[in-house]
Amino acid sequence: MTTVAAKQSKGLKEHEKAQEWWWVAEQTRSKRLDYLRKAVWKKGAIGGVYNPGIKIDLERPILFTEAWKENNQDPQMLRKAKAIAHVLENITIFITDQAQLVGYIGSLPHTIQWYPEGASIVNEEVYNEPGTVPEPEEKSLKIMAEINDYWGGQTAIDKLGRVLNPEDLVKYMSGVIGWGVPTSAYGYAGKDYEYILTGKRGFEDIIEEIDGYMDAAEKKTSGEPGPDILPLYDKILNWEAMQIILEASINFAERYARLARVISENFESDPKRKEELMRISETCEQVPAKPPRNLQESFQFDWFMQTLARFEAYEGAMPCRPDYYHGPYYDKDVNIDKRLTKEEALDLVGEFMIRAHEFGAFIPRLGREGLQGVTGTFVWTMGGVNKDGSDACNDLTVAFMQAARLVRVSNPTFGFRWHPKVKEEVMRECFECIRHGLGYPSMRNDPILVENTVYWYGHPVEEARTWVHQACMSPCPTTKHGFQPIRMASATANCAKMIEYALSDGFDKVVQMQMGPKTGDPRQFKGFEELFQAWVAQMKWMMSLLVRTVNLGRIKDPEFFGRPFLSSISERSVESGIDVVSPEGERGNCWVTFFTWVENADSLAAVKKLVFDEKKYTMDEMITALEAEWEGYEEMRLDFVNNAPKWGNDDDYVDDIMVRCLREVASYSHKIKCPSGNNWPALPENVSGNIHYASLVGALPNGRRLGDALYDGGISPGPGLDKKGPTAVLKSCSKFDHVKDGRAFLLNQRLSPTQLAGEKGYKLWSAYMKTWAELGMDHVQFNMVDDTTLRSAQTDPEKYQELIVRVAGYSAHFVDISRKTQDNIIQRTVVGL
Amino acid sequence: MTTCNECTNFFPLEDDPSTGDCVQRVVDPRQAYYKSKPVDDETDASKCDQFQKK
Ligand code: SF4
Repeated sequence: MTTVAAKQSKGLKEHEKAQEWWWVAEQTRSKRLDYLRKAVWKKGAIGGVYNPGIKIDLERPILFTEAWKENNQDPQMLRKAKAIAHVLENITIFITDQAQLVGYIGSLPHTIQWYPEGASIVNEEVYNEPGTVPEPEEKSLKIMAEINDYWGGQTAIDKLGRVLNPEDLVKYMSGVIGWGVPTSAYGYAGKDYEYILTGKRGFEDIIEEIDGYMDAAEKKTSGEPGPDILPLYDKILNWEAMQIILEASINFAERYARLARVISENFESDPKRKEELMRISETCEQVPAKPPRNLQESFQFDWFMQTLARFEAYEGAMPCRPDYYHGPYYDKDVNIDKRLTKEEALDLVGEFMIRAHEFGAFIPRLGREGLQGVTGTFVWTMGGVNKDGSDACNDLTVAFMQAARLVRVSNPTFGFRWHPKVKEEVMRECFECIRHGLGYPSMRNDPILVENTVYWYGHPVEEARTWVHQACMSPCPTTKHGFQPIRMASATANCAKMIEYALSDGFDKVVQMQMGPKTGDPRQFKGFEELFQAWVAQMKWMMSLLVRTVNLGRIKDPEFFGRPFLSSISERSVESGIDVVSPEGERGNCWVTFFTWVENADSLAAVKKLVFDEKKYTMDEMITALEAEWEGYEEMRLDFVNNAPKWGNDDDYVDDIMVRCLREVASYSHKIKCPSGNNWPALPENVSGNIHYASLVGALPNGRRLGDALYDGGISPGPGLDKKGPTAVLKSCSKFDHVKDGRAFLLNQRLSPTQLAGEKGYKLWSAYMKTWAELGMDHVQFNMVDDTTLRSAQTDPEKYQELIVRVAGYSAHFVDISRKTQDNIIQRTVVGL
Repeated sequence: MTTCNECTNFFPLEDDPSTGDCVQRVVDPRQAYYKSKPVDDETDASKCDQFQKK
């Protein structure tokens, strides 16, 4: 061993011993991955503020608006297709040194995308955001002002605002009960992977398929008149739009092919890199025009598709299953043809993650606060079962887990579909990722979630088994009728307001507005039942309002926004000629995300115990204290914190209330329907909404004050309030049915890295996972970083730039989240297994 | 008038040399890359500060 190698090896061991996994990764990964990982401009906002050097991309907004104006005679989808095609033909493209995969949604690596056709309120923020206006600033501001003037009143959300019920609009826009906007301009788009990613077709094949549908339709429209031919006129224009965008996409890839060839032939002198560039060129000639033939082409096909979709809209999630769909190509290249070594394949896998990590688009402040440190919740689905129920894990599943530990990105993350047939080797790989402090994969109980998917929407079991995480948590099939083209995040409820409004007759004292229904003066409530019924009424009101806005958003989206590209890669749209966001042909897979949920059970339990059962306080006294935000009532507040039962301690008193609340919600979830006529179950989880809403939720009977961080979400107990250990947490969480009582339930657990070191640690974790599975839980995720490391990172952030933590349904670099969120994570109880 | 056609960064398309790609090397604080943008051969290059005579 050379002296340098010996030194490095010594360093590595020391880092491993100290569990400084980010240094281990840096010393272990290939030179290429090291370069590419460090080459990424961090697009996630740090505590809500963009990094220096990050700039808004103006090329897309300018080109899009230019073409949009020119084609004002065309219907929405066709006009949109022409506008995006114009962008794809003219936007600057680039290839990073050492890269083997190409494609970015901005013109340069440090830019973030802006969609001026989405929402005027966002456009105003883009204009006023300090530091992100590109140089020369004066000129850029002038261009941005012109773009904003043009789109003012004409964006998807402006148009929707004019048809929404005015009262719903005002309440929704108050910002205290909902999240996101009801348009596909900013949402979580599912994909029909069974159509597009099974290697059966490329974009040229789809163009040909569409030719067939158009020919048949054109024949009919020149035949005998009747009502059946009338919809065909619009469909023909939609098909034309799909073909335009598919052709533009092929040309876009060819631009990369040309660039790679130009670099190879004119600039590059290293023979190995010259060859790589020619391979990139060949790859981009092949895909997405034709189906992929090898792993690089398969990843590139997928990546072009993801990038192209993001030229059309801000897709904040990436519901995908890369080990499943790319696995056969890995097997062919590495195991059968042996054209790639495992190390070479690992470079491609790591780079595929880096390409996704690089994604960046402008997020308004509300979103940045709720999703600190990242630009989306790209939860990639791993593992699971095949359509016939057999184990779907493969060598690529393992490669992804290994690559994750090398590139250590906070977005994408993984959700692993556990089932009883998962091999130990794969479980060990999952554990290694968790042990390395990535906070992912989150562990999902596949049998439970497949059953849940069938139960709530009636998806056939074979289709349910294809499921991917549509956002952080919710399963969605990847099939023709099962996939959901858009999840609009505005069906996200700030649930702590349910109990707050039940105790304020529906009046919101933070925004000074009558929000919920008048459910009676709480001072007059004579017993717990009256309070509970008031809570039920507030819950129903909140779910209804949010669902109404999304249902309308879905129906109006083809008219107000339009998704020609997403339609062109979806079988049901290619076949029907209808915009994919239209619910026609979709089975339905909606859910209402429940932020800040557990506060309801803890608060209801506190009132029941201290006011109605023990009669320690009157309702009048408690409401007076809440109205004062607990100020001047500290002793009483501490009584509500310490002497009222809290969720997560296997205490039936409060757990029964939680179960009752969930069952009320589940029952109502069957009554409210999506545009396809299907159900709207609830899904308790949080991003960092618990911090964002801290100043918007008033004092609560669980002892929380206005301004205090809310609980970290899902069904996780309040930080530090789970005092009886991890088994008690699991027992509480298994008292309800994870199939019938809701869509999915997020559970955060903090584990001790010291306790879980080595083989003994794996065994302990395995035993925990066995209990978790036996109890029928659907989700659990782990933070495995100790307090000392987290506190050191707070005092010396420069040294801990690569430290990752699990925030909620997503991971983030610890130094990129606000102090309040950091403290909230430290507060969570570290459980000993 | 100086045009893109006379610039070393201009790479004409094989099937239509009247148009092509302007390819440039960029080194930013994090990474080095080549970028490309479509241009016509007759585009006025007199105001382009990246122009390099062939
Ligand atoms: S650098 Fe300027 S002159 Fe040269 S090809 Fe590009 S745009 Fe034309």
